[in-house]
Amino acid sequence: MSDSTTSTGGFDPLTITRPDKALMWYYLIVSLLTGPGVFVAILPLFFKYETLRYRFDGEGVSMSWGILFRREIYLTYRRIQDIHLTRNLLQRWLGQATVSIQTASGSSSPEMAIEGVLAADALRDFLYAKMRGARDHAPHEQGSGGPAEPRGDEALGLLRDIRDALGQLAARRGAAE
Amino acid sequence: MSATEASGRVERASRWIYLGLWSVLVLWFRVPDRPPALPVPPGETLDAFRPAEGFLHYLKFKFWVVLTIMDGMILIGWIATAAASPLAGAILALPALAIAVLPGIVAYIAIHLQYDTTWYVMSGRSLRIRRGIWTIHETTITFENVQNVEVNQGPVQRWFGIADVHVDTAGGGGKQAAAGHGSPATAGHRGLVEGVADAARIRDLILSRLHGSRHAGLGDEHPPASTIAGWTPDHVAVLRKIRDLARALAETNL
Repeated sequence: MSDSTTSTGGFDPLTITRPDKALMWYYLIVSLLTGPGVFVAILPLFFKYETLRYRFDGEGVSMSWGILFRREIYLTYRRIQDIHLTRNLLQRWLGQATVSIQTASGSSSPEMAIEGVLAADALRDFLYAKMRGARDHAPHEQGSGGPAEPRGDEALGLLRDIRDALGQLAARRGAAE
Repeated sequence: MSATEASGRVERASRWIYLGLWSVLVLWFRVPDRPPALPVPPGETLDAFRPAEGFLHYLKFKFWVVLTIMDGMILIGWIATAAASPLAGAILALPALAIAVLPGIVAYIAIHLQYDTTWYVMSGRSLRIRRGIWTIHETTITFENVQNVEVNQGPVQRWFGIADVHVDTAGGGGKQAAAGHGSPATAGHRGLVEGVADAARIRDLILSRLHGSRHAGLGDEHPPASTIAGWTPDHVAVLRKIRDLARALAETNL
């Protein structure tokens, strides 16, 4: 059961740019299930898969796709209201999931539906750790090789040191002039 | 004596059938058999719970009401047909019985599956709801983002001692989706904690988190001063560099 894996070890969403190849299989099967409409159904899905790009950065995530009509969505992590993780039967068989993100806009449908990321649980944990209200909350979310998150005290201590050093500098300049 | 024995046997057999069905779901349909997880800081525990027992009785009550109406209509239709033409009545007797019984069995099993696949997980900061069998839907909401909490209880629900808690985040649209084709359970900007016995406790827990927050719950960009622990390693690295520069400056002779 992959749903209980909460560790983000070895998973770095910042490196994700393209959906996994498995997504095309999912799209293929979905369009096959439409029966006679398979050729109509597969074209938009194929082009969506081919043009789909993700970009995760420190502040937010963007997603773009489309060949005739292009769409690009950008949202910041801190504006996330709810995260939905949806798996239908086919997606479960193929080990996939849809991670949908909602901001406080008026529509009830999700603003962004991230498909084709195989480590969907890890991605959700990453987004969860970044969303509002979950701060200073997931100590293992910095598990991408970096050191453990420093405590606020260390930052405060550093700031005090800087203040003292600058004060010293100012005093010496004052004495020299 | 033998009647109770037989009913016990039937109960055991149905439990075995249900367990078998459940393991097919878990093995072949990849239905998770464990509650969902939520990242929590060490030392904090997760509160994972299901709807109350009363919710199962409530669903079954609704089921029996609907089944009685449906089967009554089928029976009336069949009697009318049989009165008009006994031959047609005889031919239609088996199909009518099948239509009356089979969907009921499926729905009855589905109720148990719905009950067993619904999970609510609460940490001190957020709520995660899982529901669904074919499409498994998991919603995660942090309490900081909650705008309002609504407790709904109908008369039948009151009889069974349960209530629904709606946890709304900003944005709306959930009601329109519920009025349309979308299911209210999976509509956006709303978490539905359905059929719980201690709705007041859940509401108070969420509201206490809400009162503690001084923000509008619209994804404020600036973290409150209390979250100074939100310094990232990058921040601290830059701070270290600035400190070293300042110290070097302070120690050089002018």
